[in-house]
Amino acid sequence: MSSLNQVALSLSAISFLACCSIAVGADEGLFAEAYRDVPMPEGFRVEASQEGPVFADASGMTLYKWPQHKLRNGYSGESPGSPACYEDVLTVTAGLMSPYPPGIRLPELDERKSCADLWKPVKADEGAQEVGEWTLVERRDGSRQWAYQEQPLYTSVKDQEPGDVLGGTRRRFGGDAPAKRVPVGPPSLHPPGFLIRSSFNGRMLATDRSESIYSYDGDTAESTSCFADCLAKWKPVLAPSLAREQGEWSLLERSPGERQWVFRGKPLYTHILDSGTWSQQGSDEPGWYNVFTQVADSYPSRFKPQHTMVGDVLADSDGKTIYIYHCGEDSQDQLGCDHPTETQVYRLAMCGAGDPERCLEYWPYVLASDNEQATNRTWSIVWIDPRTGRFAAAQQEDALRVWAYRDRPVYTFAGDSSPGDVHGGGTGEWRGQRNGLRAIMLRDDFFRGTL
Amino acid sequence: MWTCHASGLTFRVVLLSGLLINPTVQAGESRIRNRTISYVMTDLFWSVYQTEDARAECPKGFNDGPREQFQKLFPDYESLSVEETQLAQEIQTWHPNTEPDGFDFFEVEGELSWGLNLDGKVSANDFTHPDGTLGIDNEVYRAVGCIIGFRGPDGVEYIFQNKAILDEVYNRMMIELTEVDSLENDDSVVINLYRGMDRLLTDATGQKVTAGGTQRIDYRWGESLIRQFAGQIVDGVLITEPIAEMIMPWQNLSVPSIHVFRDARFQLDLSSEQASGVLAGYADVDTWYYQLIRNDSTHHLSNGQISGISLYKALRRFADAYPDPLTGENTAISTSLDVKMAQVFIVHRDSRAGE
Repeated sequence: MSSLNQVALSLSAISFLACCSIAVGADEGLFAEAYRDVPMPEGFRVEASQEGPVFADASGMTLYKWPQHKLRNGYSGESPGSPACYEDVLTVTAGLMSPYPPGIRLPELDERKSCADLWKPVKADEGAQEVGEWTLVERRDGSRQWAYQEQPLYTSVKDQEPGDVLGGTRRRFGGDAPAKRVPVGPPSLHPPGFLIRSSFNGRMLATDRSESIYSYDGDTAESTSCFADCLAKWKPVLAPSLAREQGEWSLLERSPGERQWVFRGKPLYTHILDSGTWSQQGSDEPGWYNVFTQVADSYPSRFKPQHTMVGDVLADSDGKTIYIYHCGEDSQDQLGCDHPTETQVYRLAMCGAGDPERCLEYWPYVLASDNEQATNRTWSIVWIDPRTGRFAAAQQEDALRVWAYRDRPVYTFAGDSSPGDVHGGGTGEWRGQRNGLRAIMLRDDFFRGTL
Repeated sequence: MWTCHASGLTFRVVLLSGLLINPTVQAGESRIRNRTISYVMTDLFWSVYQTEDARAECPKGFNDGPREQFQKLFPDYESLSVEETQLAQEIQTWHPNTEPDGFDFFEVEGELSWGLNLDGKVSANDFTHPDGTLGIDNEVYRAVGCIIGFRGPDGVEYIFQNKAILDEVYNRMMIELTEVDSLENDDSVVINLYRGMDRLLTDATGQKVTAGGTQRIDYRWGESLIRQFAGQIVDGVLITEPIAEMIMPWQNLSVPSIHVFRDARFQLDLSSEQASGVLAGYADVDTWYYQLIRNDSTHHLSNGQISGISLYKALRRFADAYPDPLTGENTAISTSLDVKMAQVFIVHRDSRAGE
């Protein structure tokens, strides 16, 4: 059974919504992650997004923070209460990543943007008052910027519609990845002892020790069929004695004094034989499924899950693994370089030694056929100029119509000759995290969901 | 009485029972069950013969790495661009060639090496084993022996690739010896190669792997890794026939990669609790190289003074097998890995542990 089917089945039993949830996406409108109401200043709201509930400005644009991130030779991002994203156009590298030293001239200086050009500070009106965890921080020009939990807030120029999260992600990223921008939102509405992991497949429920959580087809909110031998493999997620039912969360008394958490009508378990914290091996058992608070937008219909030695990847109709390019500059502002509106110097170096023709040969775009149409905001079809890698007008001669994930084109790798090959994963600087390509994983048991 | 679901789950319950019931082994008792004994890999290092001061094998010293090469190539880097410096080096790393890079490469010049005689010949280019065996084929050692990162105990490759074996599951390789009559002498055994899917059994420190653990076989994602081959045990040493093509999943720093070995063979000292020795064969050169640079960023390579740019040229120069039918250039290079394994009970899909 494919991962996608498993996700769909796991949601099939959902029958009620929590008090504070809002529709998300065109595909899965019914299922959205509930959140805890928090006081907000006037003019802000909560939007549903692929990354869960997010705060948005008056026009619905997602708010982001830029938390401090430890890099090899120092820190980037913002410490609490201290804006660091300004109007200066940086000209040299910061040397935050070894072995290359600081002070090297950054590319395409004549058109380089400042941090504040790309990340608009969320400015406060003159009479704005702090509310709850929303505070005001002072920028160096004396203006005031909104902050949440002391992290200054920004919008991304990449986001165009309410609910877009094209500027950043809540996905887990490695220590050598750029200091990423992260969508900010209200806390998810779940009891203590749980967390929600952003993954390619959606927002997946886990214990606060990052153990995957499962539910079983044959259970109901009032009864479980997992007793005796079943408990040798499946461990009920038990609730503390003071726990109370709330919203989508209820309790099942397995035996006197022993209560099991129930989410959306299904008792919850961990799988004792999962081999690691990100393992989803339990979902290989018939009738058992991982639990999602919301699923991701569906990928194009001609793509499919592909079994490989490293897990399940997303593949095209020929079974070729699909990759996405990641890039962040070694500058103090850690600007992105993986979007067609950004410099292509890094990508062209990696995919074709600087030669666009070689890039097209080694890392071809995944082309969209004339009759294919995008059905959601996550998977779009864009026009690309193959010589520059930048967006092109639809009528431009030689422009390619290609599939894009989160507004970034996706690729296959010429070095993958058979279905199941993943020979391109990790290509590029910092194991593909900063200037390189990584496979899109549907089941990532081995590598713990790292982008 | 409550039972666990439908009948479809029945066999899995049996499997689980096998997994959880660790066959009890008394001290000194043989761990062979039904003429079968298995071992799981716990240590894996490229075989690098080292003398204390390295003068015998590396009389010219050790090679420079990316950091040193960058300083020599770009003393005025502050007047240059990212494209002219950093990306120029990364392009050469990711799109390597065999043209000279302007740096002297220090290869191993000593006569001794660990490894096996893979081609059955003794030629001028071969090494001699420290035990006196002639004809040792290990050209990877010739290439990496004078690079600090590949030398123990502090080299970056030496440390990290082994740490990943303890910490990860992607590379959980194991061998199952069947039709075993004796661990001392047996002229015919059949060996199965599998990937396991469970954590290793360790002592309380979590670092020392102990015998007697249990492993399920990864049939879901590891089926393409399964091999079966023949061998014999002579005076307590397992010697296997060459495996035509063996894929070794390799993990270092969270990037999934592989090595492809042709004519691979194990030579392992066996005991009831462990196996140790070498795995030797011909590694596909490009796969070997891209495994290294995909797993290790230029930063990690720098810590081991490993210039991918220079090393690729050496690997191609020293490649000694499987010529390309079109160009005549060798595509594979002889190599050897030091291997240690701990005895383990393998749980099959359809049987109880140890059976």
